[in-house]
Amino acid sequence: MHIMEGFLPLEWAAFWWAVAIPCLVFGIYQLRRTLSADREALPLLGVTGGFIFILSSLKLPSVTGSCSHPTGTGLSAVCFGPFVTSVVCAIVLLFQSLFLAHGGLSTLGANIVSMGVVGPFAGWVVYRALRDTRVSLPLTIFLSCAIADLLTYVVTSLELALAYPAGVGGVVSSFVLFLGIFAITQVPLAIVEGIVLALVFKYIVSLKPEILVRLRVFPEEKIRAAGGGVQ
Amino acid sequence: MYEELLEDIAHKSALRETHTGVKIVTGAGAIILCLLSPGFLAPLLVAAVLLMALVFLARVDVSTLGHVYAAPALFAVFSVSAIVLVAGGGETFWQWQPAPWFSLSVSRAGINQGVLVFARFIGGTTGLVFIALTTPMTDLFSVMRRLRVPDEVIDLAMIIYRTIFMVMAHVVQVYGAQVMRLGYSTFRESLHSFARLCGAVFISSWEAGEDLIRAMEARCYAGKFAVLGKDRPADPLSLAAVATFFVLTGAVAVTTADVTLF
Repeated sequence: MHIMEGFLPLEWAAFWWAVAIPCLVFGIYQLRRTLSADREALPLLGVTGGFIFILSSLKLPSVTGSCSHPTGTGLSAVCFGPFVTSVVCAIVLLFQSLFLAHGGLSTLGANIVSMGVVGPFAGWVVYRALRDTRVSLPLTIFLSCAIADLLTYVVTSLELALAYPAGVGGVVSSFVLFLGIFAITQVPLAIVEGIVLALVFKYIVSLKPEILVRLRVFPEEKIRAAGGGVQ
Repeated sequence: MYEELLEDIAHKSALRETHTGVKIVTGAGAIILCLLSPGFLAPLLVAAVLLMALVFLARVDVSTLGHVYAAPALFAVFSVSAIVLVAGGGETFWQWQPAPWFSLSVSRAGINQGVLVFARFIGGTTGLVFIALTTPMTDLFSVMRRLRVPDEVIDLAMIIYRTIFMVMAHVVQVYGAQVMRLGYSTFRESLHSFARLCGAVFISSWEAGEDLIRAMEARCYAGKFAVLGKDRPADPLSLAAVATFFVLTGAVAVTTADVTLF
């Protein structure tokens, strides 16, 4: 869920850039460490970024018939961790604004914070909490991706509410209204995205479980339990 | 199922050969000017001038521009409506207060703020679209290298850029095959088909990544991709046009700062 170009006043656009930049710097530091340990990670990260871009430009099946796109950030957070995901997301968000006019350049900082930092971090926390438990692999992915999506939308609402506080009730009142308006599309979207990405993982587990083993996303026993014939 | 990339249009743009820096300064400057403008007229003027430049100088199809604005406009309508309802202030035409801390109203100040935000959205988006429709990503990679963006980030961006077109071709093929087999006939079927599409594309992307590793090793990749960018000189005429644009729109922003719609 992107904040479009021109929507945030200059001071708020600058503030969210100031929040996003330290996260990106730490993400680049993590990326360098990952690449120095494993040079093969660069092309794999690159194709995952390309996949996230395409995933986010596909229209999800929607009950209401409205136009909804998955974010795919939960998937990247599970596979590569939240900090590297912030760098991948920043690049994908830049491409989305320049290739599809989704988002913007002045609002890129705010979008990085919501879609590239808070959302993936929340999804990753859920994934780490459930990874080594008895919770099944598809359910873990569903919860991680759905929570990442929901938190993205909550943070976007907060960013808009801070920029445009209500005359009565201030930021809280404005936040409630933005949450309510976007809930119509974003809550079903988060659920559908969670289901779709859980099915995607199930599909990968049955056809190419080596990918998940290589990424050390789940213990081999859990992948086997989900139906993956790991060699 | 997928959308046309503005990148494809940028490659065919009549402004393709114009100095990249001039185009970026024009688009980014227009965005900043829209955000600095306290009145709604300057952002609309910025949008009008840049749209004319896109249609008459860059030779972009008008119907393409309509498609480009469709998705952002949906978000804008939702968000501007919310801003109008919560802003309050001035003469109030309608009000509903279900709780002491929560009130919805349509007021003069609210409408004026909504109009300003919508005008900034139109002007800012046009600045963004101007860069997107005239400057291919390959030119921007050269600019990123000159701006000393870390090599790892540029290399990652270049691989993502290359992968997008490869993956998109695969998506089109698989999606077409699914549609022909009634894969999207019901909601439940759509969910399964969509998940299979994403899964198949993820696996093929992964395999493409492994092929890329072998190709990079074979070409002695040493941690930095070469970026080939042509250094075109900035045309004095285009510099004069951009300077005139900023002086004109800046003057309008200052002189119409207090003008409101209501």
